[in-house]
Amino acid sequence: MRRIKALWGAVRGLRFDTLVARTTIVLILGIATVQIVGLQTYRASLSADLSDATERRLADRLLTIKRTLTGLPEELREDAAHDLSSGAIEAHWSPDERAVEADGTNALWVDLQARLIELAPELAEGGLIVGAQGGESPDPHVALISMRLVDGTWLNVSLLSWTPRIPGAPQTVMVAWMIAAVALATAVLLVRWISRPLGRFAEAANGFYTTGRVAAVPETGPYEVAVLARAFNDLQDRLARSIEDRTQALAAVSHDLKTPITRLRLRAEEIDSDPLARSIAHDLDEMERMIDQTLSYLHGDRSDEPMRPVDLVAILETVTDDLSDQGGVVTLQGPRAAVISGRRLGLKRAFANLVGNAVKYGGTARVSVAENAAQVTVTIDDDGEGIAPADRERVRLPFVRLESSRNSTTGGFGLGLTIAGAVIDGHGGTLDLDSAPSGGLRVSVTLPKPAA
Amino acid sequence: MLQQLGTTQATEGRVLVVDDDGEILSLVAKFLRANGFVVATARNGAEMKAQMQAAQPDLVVLDIMLPGTNGLDLCRSLRAESQVPVVMLTAKGDEIDRIVGLEVGADDYLPKPFNPRELLARIKAVLRRSRSADSAGAPGSGRLIEFDGWHLDTLKRELTDPTGVVVDLSSGEYDLLVTFLEAPQRVLSRDYLLDATKNRTLDVYDRSIDVQVSRLRRKIEAQGELIKTIRGAGYLFAASVRRK
Repeated sequence: MRRIKALWGAVRGLRFDTLVARTTIVLILGIATVQIVGLQTYRASLSADLSDATERRLADRLLTIKRTLTGLPEELREDAAHDLSSGAIEAHWSPDERAVEADGTNALWVDLQARLIELAPELAEGGLIVGAQGGESPDPHVALISMRLVDGTWLNVSLLSWTPRIPGAPQTVMVAWMIAAVALATAVLLVRWISRPLGRFAEAANGFYTTGRVAAVPETGPYEVAVLARAFNDLQDRLARSIEDRTQALAAVSHDLKTPITRLRLRAEEIDSDPLARSIAHDLDEMERMIDQTLSYLHGDRSDEPMRPVDLVAILETVTDDLSDQGGVVTLQGPRAAVISGRRLGLKRAFANLVGNAVKYGGTARVSVAENAAQVTVTIDDDGEGIAPADRERVRLPFVRLESSRNSTTGGFGLGLTIAGAVIDGHGGTLDLDSAPSGGLRVSVTLPKPAA
Repeated sequence: MLQQLGTTQATEGRVLVVDDDGEILSLVAKFLRANGFVVATARNGAEMKAQMQAAQPDLVVLDIMLPGTNGLDLCRSLRAESQVPVVMLTAKGDEIDRIVGLEVGADDYLPKPFNPRELLARIKAVLRRSRSADSAGAPGSGRLIEFDGWHLDTLKRELTDPTGVVVDLSSGEYDLLVTFLEAPQRVLSRDYLLDATKNRTLDVYDRSIDVQVSRLRRKIEAQGELIKTIRGAGYLFAASVRRK
């Protein structure tokens, strides 16, 4: 029972929508059709050959019997006829004919008569009648051939079961089907080989999406696939160029905003009202942060900063001190120092984003550091509402902000986590979102330690 | 364009500002004048050369993105002719690495959009450093400061411990450390330290000097005491300091 279930599972697991499966189905149907038609044709031609041979043999035997009986005295003829009978042929000698002339409706007898005359004209010398048995209720399966001898007496030969049976040829059929199976297997392998380049397209498309880098597909394989590959590569190039253009436009705009912001900062210095100057400075800070985030997102973590041994705890101290100076409730726990190999400015930006988010959305940030021989783990818990498991992947994407946070007071526009993720990724680390024991969000970052 | 420089001793110093953006040029000039500097301005390399002769500035603020001449080349040629300190204004990111990497001889740099108060603080710090180096007669323009095995790169604003590990500093901690390193083995009062490090921004969150000192200690005193508290007087940086 279990075995059947397993088998059924395997069958259900098969995919019938693949190119290979569909081609196989087409091939099976095609080969089966060819095989069946071929076998039928073969049978027909075989049966034609067989009846020809049988007719020749029949003509020979009839001729032999007729000649033998012609050369014998009358009293010996019946015995000789009997002796010469065998198998389907039964010969008798009699003074008159027994066969009844076929009336033309029985094509079989007419044909046989014509064939016999054709094969051995001597049989018809004197008279040849092929027909059904005379008398009441003649057996239609028994043919009776009557030949007149030179002295006017008749030789009557009955043919039992006159329809040559074609011997079944199970071996021939099996060989034919085996050839079909081998052809099918070869064809399936060929189709797989031909369709393999298609798999590379999916690979390249996925690679292009995730890395943003053009992954050219080799322009080889069958003609159609090569043409498709060329078009696909062109498309990739054009897409990449278009993305590049837009990226540069966005970078240029962000970059050019720096000059007016600088001017505004200088002008704000001339404002006497302290609260006004401060609020303007605050707005300018926010604009600057957005530009910074945009540019660092666009440039990725490809900063030219080299990887060096760097104290992660010192970075976290700077980040948490800055945030608590700005009025945030931030705590930091852990060892006095934790050295990893990294980029100081990139890491500072990443953790400023993560801890800043915790303060912004979660009210408080509890940062703790733990290290073992292989890695340093930084955990950032907050007291906010957390992020539903379903949203945890989505929120990492650029420019994605969750509904609850989309108001002007929290600022930002959905790049902080993306940038942090890219930086951590660039350090060979991991960034995971989870639920904190308090119900808020827990961000866990692990960073590998340099091999000692 | 040529701004006559005053000769009064009450000024903070003479500064030449070079920027192709006329608005920023006049705004920076106005801001620095309001803060006690005598300011000359130039829009390009040629004007800068003329002003170097005419105004004899103590310090040059140079925008790296000048049209015509490359700002980096300009800085290099300036450095070839004079020892005047240079604060560069740059775009963030790659260019900073280029300035540092190319050793064009800038004493400090500030990414745009800069905070005017940050610019003021940097100008004052660079002037203070160059003056103390002048008075000591030492080759003080080196960007590396060494103390007790630690190294501070004043251009990259990067601190490394005796084992070569980079230790991050906040800008407040950095300013405090630089102030200590400029006057080692001297008692510095809280007021002096506050004055040297204060008000980079309009932030209301200025922490007391004691908090800043304790934060700095936490980062640099794992191996032993470097900053001594002098009861009733202030703080003293105990280690000996070498410029390279």
